[in-house]
Amino acid sequence: MSETFPHNAGYMIAAYTVAAVILVAYAVLLYRRTRGL
Amino acid sequence: MTLAQKGRWTTAAGLVLLAAVYVRALAFTPIERLQGPAQKIFYIHVPAAIWTETAMILVGLASLFFLFLKDPRLDSFAAASAEVGTAFATIVLTTGPIWGKPIWGTWWTWDARLTSTLFLFFLYIGYLLLRGAVADPGARARYPAVLGICGMVLVPFIHFSVYLFRTLHPMPIILKPSAPSLPGSMLATWAFSFAVFSVLYVGFVMQRYALARARQEAPHV
Repeated sequence: MSETFPHNAGYMIAAYTVAAVILVAYAVLLYRRTRGL
Repeated sequence: MTLAQKGRWTTAAGLVLLAAVYVRALAFTPIERLQGPAQKIFYIHVPAAIWTETAMILVGLASLFFLFLKDPRLDSFAAASAEVGTAFATIVLTTGPIWGKPIWGTWWTWDARLTSTLFLFFLYIGYLLLRGAVADPGARARYPAVLGICGMVLVPFIHFSVYLFRTLHPMPIILKPSAPSLPGSMLATWAFSFAVFSVLYVGFVMQRYALARARQEAPHV
């Protein structure tokens, strides 16, 4: 018997994308600020 | 290898592991029957929330000890933890509403947990703005330290707000006195994600701390 789920994968993808963008952007920002150290 | 370089490698390892978390969470963790795929936002929202609160507790403790000991390394650590905590708080305050829309039917509600978390975010922003606004190095360390201690005091209120008030926000299902209320595969994904967010926090703080120390030793940096 197949299970049915709410169709809200778009929200999941949006949240994962936002989190990745924030973390990668901050990592790049720190890399640029500490490059000479 | 300098501290900043160690921090960069730690951060790089954390980002690679974050990709592994994404693969595990999205492809190899079961979909929750009632909430659907949106429930998987939990695996990034909760670790980010725990580190948002932990970072502020560490800011408060470092600030408290700084006011007594006057050790500039404590001030540098507080500044580093505050900036990293702000980044994690931004993740919490964006992923939370994205989960809330399909599950609650609204992006935002002014309940105790959400409002107090937003207040914590504003405290973080205020802390960083205050550091940037004060020219005198002594005052620049002391004034934000008081704000950091206030932030630390707010954290238990945020955590227990779901018990103290009627809120839409779910009760804790991991950080609670009894055993976590999650199936093993979901708990393993969450634990993996939490470990990776911990690595990222350490990597970010190492870099930011190195930068703060460099600025203390040579203010023109």
